[in-house]
Amino acid sequence: MAALTSRFDVAAVMRRELAPRKRWQNFYGYLFLTPWLVGFLGLFIGPGITSLYLSLTKYDVLSPPIFIGFDNYVKMFTDDPQFWPSIGRTIYYAGVGVPLGVLGSMFLAILLNNKIRALPAYRTLFFMPTLVPIVASVVLWKWLLNDDFGVVNQALRSLGMADPPGWFGDRRWAIPSLIAMGLWQGIGGTRMIIFLAGLQGIPEELYDAASIDGASSWAKLWNVTIPLLTPTIFFNMILGIIGGLQTFTAAFVATEGGPGFATWFFSLHLYKQAFDYWNMGYAAALAWFFAVIIVSLTMWQMRLSTRWVFYYGG
Amino acid sequence: MAVTYDTPSTQLAPVAVQRPGRSHAGKIAAYVILTIGGIIFAFPLFWTVSSSLQTWQELRSFTLHFLPAVPQWGNYDKVFNAVPFARWMANSFLLVAITVPGTVITASITAYAFARFDFFGKNVWFILMLGTMMIPTQVTLIPQYIFFFKLKLINTYVPLTIGAWLGGGAFMIFLLRQFIMSIPRDLDEAAVMDGASPFRVLWSVLLPLMKPALTTVAILQFMNEWNEFFAPFIYLNRMQLFPAAVGMRVFQNIPLETTEPREHLLMAAAAIMTLPVILLFIVAQRYFIQGVVLSGLKI
Repeated sequence: MAALTSRFDVAAVMRRELAPRKRWQNFYGYLFLTPWLVGFLGLFIGPGITSLYLSLTKYDVLSPPIFIGFDNYVKMFTDDPQFWPSIGRTIYYAGVGVPLGVLGSMFLAILLNNKIRALPAYRTLFFMPTLVPIVASVVLWKWLLNDDFGVVNQALRSLGMADPPGWFGDRRWAIPSLIAMGLWQGIGGTRMIIFLAGLQGIPEELYDAASIDGASSWAKLWNVTIPLLTPTIFFNMILGIIGGLQTFTAAFVATEGGPGFATWFFSLHLYKQAFDYWNMGYAAALAWFFAVIIVSLTMWQMRLSTRWVFYYGG
Repeated sequence: MAVTYDTPSTQLAPVAVQRPGRSHAGKIAAYVILTIGGIIFAFPLFWTVSSSLQTWQELRSFTLHFLPAVPQWGNYDKVFNAVPFARWMANSFLLVAITVPGTVITASITAYAFARFDFFGKNVWFILMLGTMMIPTQVTLIPQYIFFFKLKLINTYVPLTIGAWLGGGAFMIFLLRQFIMSIPRDLDEAAVMDGASPFRVLWSVLLPLMKPALTTVAILQFMNEWNEFFAPFIYLNRMQLFPAAVGMRVFQNIPLETTEPREHLLMAAAAIMTLPVILLFIVAQRYFIQGVVLSGLKI
């Protein structure tokens, strides 16, 4: 009771003393916001506006930018042989890799949520690949998938496949190889932990109610577990797609866009334009196009989500 | 759904106590899938270590050697002799040592502003901050590069570390803001009543309570920085400045004194580069697993 009284007193004092002190709130709010605000204006807004301007110029860093209007934007749609193909490859990579990764993490979490004995051991086992730095993981996977001496092809040959794929060295298999590596690194990571948290948040009464109705385990999975996980699926899909479309390091270190442009993703195209050909203006235009695509795709997913994401009790 | 409301109550009792999805067969199936999956997931890690201890003749033969005939520990020495790998690792540690405190300090301060002060335009700033997560880094990359180039900061760590000291990124701020929001406001208010300044409230009341979230942020930043490839790759072009991630790619591609295959050495380098992260995981495992969840990332 004493605690309650003092709490009321504090509230009263706060109202009297602090609430009118709007200036105090503003002063300290902005004081503590300053480091971020400096970074936001200096490293984000400033460069963002600059790159919007540069996208309207021809600029090679050494000589001053020359204003050319919308020529860069016209060029990307009409006169850049790698523009549309690089978008297609990026969509292929993210469109296959992200849903597989998200669903993989979800099913792994569902399996692990099965009141499994030795859960921490299994969870650690699946989490381990996340700890491997991307560059190290690329080097490792290039060795696993080595055409002649890699363990995968040796195994495939011993199983009687005379001519196994050349993986990273093969135009058709280079993107699937990157996807496989991404799945290995991503399925058991943070995303799976988020799904485990989502699963543990599903009220047990719902399962009890389903049991009373005579639902099988399978029916409970489809009618209770998955609908209640849709917010988590949605969250992971959004983050996954934003990340997947920007994929750079793995493809750059593994194949540098090759073989024969097979992994020349949009982000690589942009990088090459900027830092190999010094077409900074054109690269800035590509970057802005990319930003518009990613933002609109995210907004579109948010709108679409009202049709399939189910918020329990909300 | 096969719903049968009119089931006789005598049959209901055993069904009702049954836990969801805990049938015996289902559980065995789960163990089988998890064990097979676990072996598949662990195999590449085993293969890294095993390959790193073999001779290249063993690796490049058409019969698989699952384990080295004689473990070639000398391969690890060869990595350090062939390329300045020790230097690269030290550089990675230096970048971690600069960016982790920066992120922890400035992200906490920013999170404190967003969680506890009612300043003008707060919601707009907050939405803008979250919006930065959506915008691809390439949008700001080129002007940033030109800016640092003109300031003669290429081949320094300034472009690589300044962001960590200016808020540390929207994700970290969001994480800490969520955590502060979960701390009862009464605690701050009591301290204010006792005459504590806002600095004092942050330092003596909130930060001690935020230790799990701060540890999580520190670990995430360690991982991000250790993984970071793109920024050091474009801002650094002197080999002795490279972090391990960039060095690893160099080691994969540059000509060495011998023309011998180098898969065994690359695998040793991959193992060396992964070891600090594994050690961190062993020491702080519960923060990897629980931290993200605790910090309110669960939806």
